[in-house]
Amino acid sequence: MMEKRLQQLFFALSFLALALVVVALWQASTPEWKTYQRQFHQLEAQGEPDAKARAALLEEPLEIHQTMLTGLGRVDRCTTCHLGVDDPTMKNAPEPFRYHAGLGPHVQPKFGCSVCHGGQGLATDRENAHGKGGSSEESLLAPEFVRATCGRCHDQGDIPSVPELTEGARLVETRGCHGCHKLNGKAPAIGPDLTDEADAHRTPEWLEQHFQNPAAVTADSAMPNEHFNKEQVRALTFYMYSLSSMKMANYYLGARLIPGAAQGRQLFAEKNCLGCHAIGGVGARIGPDLKGVTGRRSAQWIDEQISNPQMMYPGTSMPDYELGINARKSLIAFLGNATPEDAKSILSENKRALSPEQAVVESGRLEFMHFGCAGCHGTELQGGTPNKNAQGGEVPALVHLDQDYTHDEVLNVVRKGRVPPLEKANGPVPPLYMPAWKQFISEEDIDRIVAYLYSKQEKEKADEAW
Amino acid sequence: MTMKLIREIWQSIVRRDPLSTEKGKAELVFLNVWLHIHPAKVKRENLRFTHTFYLGFITFFLFVILVVTGILLMCYYRPDPSLAYQDMKDLQFAVFMGPFLRAAHRWAAHGMVICVFLHMLRVFYTGSYKRPRQFNWVVGVLLFLTTLGLSFTGYLLPWDQLAFWAITVGTNIGGYAPVVGPMVREILLGGHTVGEAALVRFYVLHVAVLPSFLILLCVVHFWRIRKDGGLSRPLWKLKSAPPEPEPELVTIGAPAASAPLRMQAASREKTYGLMEVVTGKPIFETILPEEEEDSVFSYPYAFLRESIAMLVTLIGVMAVSLVVHAPLEELANPAKTPNPAKAPWYFLGLQELVSHSAFLGGVVAPAVMVLALLAIPYLDRNPSRQLAKRKWILAIFTVFVVANVALIIIGTFFRGPGWALVPPWVHVAGGTE
Repeated sequence: MMEKRLQQLFFALSFLALALVVVALWQASTPEWKTYQRQFHQLEAQGEPDAKARAALLEEPLEIHQTMLTGLGRVDRCTTCHLGVDDPTMKNAPEPFRYHAGLGPHVQPKFGCSVCHGGQGLATDRENAHGKGGSSEESLLAPEFVRATCGRCHDQGDIPSVPELTEGARLVETRGCHGCHKLNGKAPAIGPDLTDEADAHRTPEWLEQHFQNPAAVTADSAMPNEHFNKEQVRALTFYMYSLSSMKMANYYLGARLIPGAAQGRQLFAEKNCLGCHAIGGVGARIGPDLKGVTGRRSAQWIDEQISNPQMMYPGTSMPDYELGINARKSLIAFLGNATPEDAKSILSENKRALSPEQAVVESGRLEFMHFGCAGCHGTELQGGTPNKNAQGGEVPALVHLDQDYTHDEVLNVVRKGRVPPLEKANGPVPPLYMPAWKQFISEEDIDRIVAYLYSKQEKEKADEAW
Repeated sequence: MTMKLIREIWQSIVRRDPLSTEKGKAELVFLNVWLHIHPAKVKRENLRFTHTFYLGFITFFLFVILVVTGILLMCYYRPDPSLAYQDMKDLQFAVFMGPFLRAAHRWAAHGMVICVFLHMLRVFYTGSYKRPRQFNWVVGVLLFLTTLGLSFTGYLLPWDQLAFWAITVGTNIGGYAPVVGPMVREILLGGHTVGEAALVRFYVLHVAVLPSFLILLCVVHFWRIRKDGGLSRPLWKLKSAPPEPEPELVTIGAPAASAPLRMQAASREKTYGLMEVVTGKPIFETILPEEEEDSVFSYPYAFLRESIAMLVTLIGVMAVSLVVHAPLEELANPAKTPNPAKAPWYFLGLQELVSHSAFLGGVVAPAVMVLALLAIPYLDRNPSRQLAKRKWILAIFTVFVVANVALIIIGTFFRGPGWALVPPWVHVAGGTE
């Protein structure tokens, strides 16, 4: 009796096991993307007048499509479902089959999708490919933020269509973010490294809230509230998404600067071309006048001349500025319409020469801004950034340095850093402290920064004395 | 001609006489490899489900599932930090049945750790480690440790955040041992941190060294079951047979326990074994005539039950794998420590202890546990297997088991950021901050 029962159980379980194998096979052979591919083939067949071709379309094999982007270190399988991305006839097709208009040079086979849109390129199901919120590495970027990722490749010069990034970069430079945050491994680590912060695990909502009020999303955040307005918050969020530690091949790196006449004008001024050349008679006469040069020479010739002057004119005094392809393109674009007025305005921008002492102080001021000292000490050295349990409860002002310290002491604090004295001896360690800058700033630059600080002292002191 | 060839091939495979002859019928049993691992006959009472719960068999079958799924996974996996995670993603998204395969491998692995532990509990509570089975208990403990080693080395292979940090924490716990700890850790990792050298080493251990070792131990373990007189008798059988007859035992090479320690002189009348001289009575628990009547043929009685246990295991693993996929977190990032970073779940008891005292959790507790487990059959001098007569050791062992399980539960579910005590129903915002 017992044996009979067990035998029946054995057969029943065998069938159950077999059924599960069938379920597993069925689950594996009916992925979402196959449904989409069938739909797409039907869509294609609808527009096909020839019956034979129609039948062929419907019988096309169902397979995973992938774009191997070795130059970007990515593999994108998005086109497994987004089958009409590079097919203009799919302009009005429903998603996920619609044609991606306006890509310009950013063709899908060279760039894939995820480098701009985020999401998980390797995934072949909607949920994983688009992500469910959370980190942006796994989630699609909201459409309004996609433009921010232009900065991942175009990280030199401005991107005309993304003014937010220009503004974001300006804010980061002027508000002293680098004083605490690392970027590509440089600068101290009071705050987290920003390079992959947005890319890896921050949503746009989190970033925007964070820039409005750091303490709102991270309790006890040491980051001072900078009271950014709405546009600035958006610009900084854009900037965060433009950062990436992604390694790119030369093909992509060549496009870091977007060529344009405005970039060309800037380069023309920066490289001091008017030191030898003139435009329509305005400038120097050492080299040829560049007015109308694009009419006299082909763009290719000028490009060759800029990139390798010695080959075109052996023995010429024109230096090789080692400009990238896009920088050269920009210069040529500028030269195409350059007028004597341009030359005049460039010359008028040139500042009056500084005395050696003034030059030291000025470059000290620039370093002070560049390394983010202003982030805590303020652009006017006024200090005042809240710092819990530090003496006085805030970051000290730097305008009375010479009353409390010797010049060498100041140098040493910058070099070796300092933890501020505690307000309450048994209280917590203050979140902000002076990092040791020795490893990030050269000795000469530290000297210049201190010279800048002392230049501010004297003025303040004089004010007080009177 | 062809018929002759076919017959020759057939006879080369089935080396027995036709079943129509008496000799052929006998050889069907004698020459059968499965009936070689099993005895041809087993005691009826030992087949009872509630005696063994078939836990040892289920554990072994989970290992078989792991070998099969593991070999298939090896076809798609390359143990290099730059490729491993990519391969995991391919398994998840592009390989036919990849997610099912991975899930089956992972859940069978966790199942094996659990089953091997439950099997140990069963053997302990039924007192089956007692004479003559002491050494098989030791082999069993080694099998348990090898299973943990297999699970631990496999944990790193996906090369995601979960894998990286679990192994970092796990190997750090091992590093607390004085003198040898840091050295063993360095040999295991091929460096001071978990990196590409560690990945290759863990891979080699996981797919070659530890499985071979486990199979070897299994061979000894199964062989010893037969040589120690088959499965131990159920406890209820002991109650019905009041004065348990102490079975006369003679082990190969060594004299009976009662005999003074000396080598037996070889005799002309005796049969010579290959290595030692066999003397005295048969080498395992002698079967009394009344017991002979109580035994049944392994085929079909034992085989049928084992097949059912096998099917239930297979169905369990498949059903869970169809519904719950194996986790895969983001790519391993040595610069980004998750908070809290946890070891694999079966080491969370140790990690919990380490959080109180590194020396206690990293050195004392694991050393005492392993040594105590290995020594149990030799420390427990009480010959009785009856529960009522083993109160002390049962109490000690139960406290040990409950404490372990409780610590693992606390470590798994009640520890939040900064290893602070956070109940699982409380959500902690921030997380990695």
